[in-house]
Amino acid sequence: MTKPRSRRLLAGAALVLGVALTSTACLNQGPAASSDGQGEVGGTIQVAWWGGESRNAKTNAVIEQFNEDFPEVTTETQSADYAQYFNRLNVQASSRSLPCVVQMQDRQVNDYVKRQTLQPLDDMVASGAIDTSKIPPAVLDGGRGSDGKLYFIPYGIAWDALMVNTTLAEEAGVGAPPESWDWDQFVSYVSQAKDRLPDGTYAVAAGGEEQNAFYAWAVGQGIEVFNAEGQLGFTKEQLKEYWSLWLDLQEQGIALPPDMSAEEPPGADQGYLATGQLMVGVLPGNSLYVSQQTLDGRDGGQLQAARYPDGPAGIGNILVASGFGISSNCDNVPTSAAFIDFFTNDVDAQVAFAADNGAPTNTDVLDALTAEDSELPDLKRDELEQYRAISEDNPPKVNYPPGFNAVFQQAFTRNYNEVAFGRLTLDQAVDSFFNETNASLG
Amino acid sequence: MTLATATEPPVALPTTPRRGRGRTQLLPALAFLTPWLVGMVLFTFGPMLYSLYLSFTRYDLLSNPEWVGLQNYALMGSDPRFWKSVGVTLTYVVVFVPLLQVVSMLVALLLNSRLRFLTGYRALFYLPSLMGASVAVAALWRQVFGADGLVNAVLGLVGIENVGSWVGDPARALGTIITLNLWAFGSTMIIFLAGLRQVPRELLEAAEVDGASKIRRFFSITLPMMTPLVFFNVLMGTINAFQSFTGAYVVSGGSGGPVDSTLFYTLYLYERGFTQLQMGYASAMAWVLLLVLAVVTGIFFRSSRYWVHYGDES
Repeated sequence: MTKPRSRRLLAGAALVLGVALTSTACLNQGPAASSDGQGEVGGTIQVAWWGGESRNAKTNAVIEQFNEDFPEVTTETQSADYAQYFNRLNVQASSRSLPCVVQMQDRQVNDYVKRQTLQPLDDMVASGAIDTSKIPPAVLDGGRGSDGKLYFIPYGIAWDALMVNTTLAEEAGVGAPPESWDWDQFVSYVSQAKDRLPDGTYAVAAGGEEQNAFYAWAVGQGIEVFNAEGQLGFTKEQLKEYWSLWLDLQEQGIALPPDMSAEEPPGADQGYLATGQLMVGVLPGNSLYVSQQTLDGRDGGQLQAARYPDGPAGIGNILVASGFGISSNCDNVPTSAAFIDFFTNDVDAQVAFAADNGAPTNTDVLDALTAEDSELPDLKRDELEQYRAISEDNPPKVNYPPGFNAVFQQAFTRNYNEVAFGRLTLDQAVDSFFNETNASLG
Repeated sequence: MTLATATEPPVALPTTPRRGRGRTQLLPALAFLTPWLVGMVLFTFGPMLYSLYLSFTRYDLLSNPEWVGLQNYALMGSDPRFWKSVGVTLTYVVVFVPLLQVVSMLVALLLNSRLRFLTGYRALFYLPSLMGASVAVAALWRQVFGADGLVNAVLGLVGIENVGSWVGDPARALGTIITLNLWAFGSTMIIFLAGLRQVPRELLEAAEVDGASKIRRFFSITLPMMTPLVFFNVLMGTINAFQSFTGAYVVSGGSGGPVDSTLFYTLYLYERGFTQLQMGYASAMAWVLLLVLAVVTGIFFRSSRYWVHYGDES
């Protein structure tokens, strides 16, 4: 009696395991063939993006316009905030159920390129299914993967910037920052402001833990942040020099202390700059308007975006490209291509989108938004003018290797703070950062 | 006689027909059980077995798993953040579980007395458990324990100033999470309260007549009578504490920070699996946790014979 029963039990277990293994084996079938995007536009597509309430409303408005132009298309939408968006995308990719149209950024794209979950769009551009003629070539390159192929069409460009509360800066006697400056001038600017700022207000954010500020410092010195092999391109000595600069500023009470920085609420509308507790913040340039709105509610002063200090090699501001790509499991490529073309190039739709995710890459849209009759708020228009000025300076591009998104920022922040909290020496933290990051990159 | 005949058949029923009836009941029983069985096999055992398989592979969620044998398990030994997460979790379990029992018992004792508006108090004390360590409460906690939060404001009123942040300081962040989770003591307290009602009044009265103090009565009668419930609550509390996630995730913004001071085991597992795309390693971590929980549970059960007293024992 027991033998057949145990055999049946074994068979049952084997069946369960078999079903589980077979089903997942079916899920990962490799990439779909690339397409030129030509064909009938119709049926259903899913579109996914990241963003808060404001961007959701604006993206939905653009989608409504798309559906009016293409009534035979049904568009299903998914959105989440930035961090959760990519976690969800990973789960969807594992079951090959990615939405057809997925929003991408140059920081993450190589994770998906490496795993062949996105379709190259070059043939769709060549066939005319997606028009990129109005996007400057250097900006379009932001959508290329490490293999040189185009995986998303950038529609918005954010740029790293310093945000200065000029009202606080005036009170502190340092005034608005100059049009361009170097790192010594920057340190002297925030140091002078320190003593005359109100209690509980700090001159500058904890830039030592911010990867964006580090890129600005590094590329300004001509340092390649990631090398051709996708590993760290800077030396331990260079990182020590950068971290020491900020540790000194924190020690002198000029930069935000580590415990306050650790509990800073996320989001440009809730951070210390928006609540008036910070004179100089480190934020993407396109968050100026959002931060100012919160600050206005508190009568906390006027914000102005400032250029990062230049280094010996020139400008340090990095551009960050966001746009839409097509997943390799998508079964409605022509409609997806039509959607991306519409989202990137339709001037009316992009005017309604109001540069919500960075400056528009399409020059016609940029012109329309900065024209005199544009209804864009002045501050938002200033943002776009600043983008134009930075992009004319030919800012360097950082090539983010696969694994970057998963490890770099967290390891950078954590290891810097290990020193700031006095739990590790500078040498130990730099070693730990290099070991951890190089093991996961590439 | 008629009555005797009527009661006879069930007593005299031979075993074979009974088994036959059992068989006829088997089919309906299986039919009713099938939905649960299907769910159990497909959604619990299936994924569990698959995660066991994944723990022996390198799997990044986006491409096919690649067999690496015991490599993931071996890597844990040399992963400093793995050991940090073990340290944080063990500290949490060792501090949180006993504290939860003490607080729950004290509140249960209070609610077992003859206070006015007792029903209202009971509902009030249970209320936090309904919200539990939810996202909204954790987000609120972040504000309450912030540098400019309510706690520091109250401390400022009594002259304690410049305390700094509770959630932003690595030396205090774990304590804040413990307090946050302790707040939801309601379920444990309700079980203790039900147990207190079962303690035989005559024993307590006899002890009182013999001159035993309240404390003596608690430690010599109430607590020993309550040990089965203490056992249950400690066991469940320990299992839950090992798997604690939400509070730390929300308060630290998912990073386990500041500087890994709230890097719970499950938080690190989640980070490895869904952020770093190392699902093989995350699966291996999950199985190690399962084994540890099985061993801890086994130890609890083995030790229970020495300290848990059931009423029916001689």
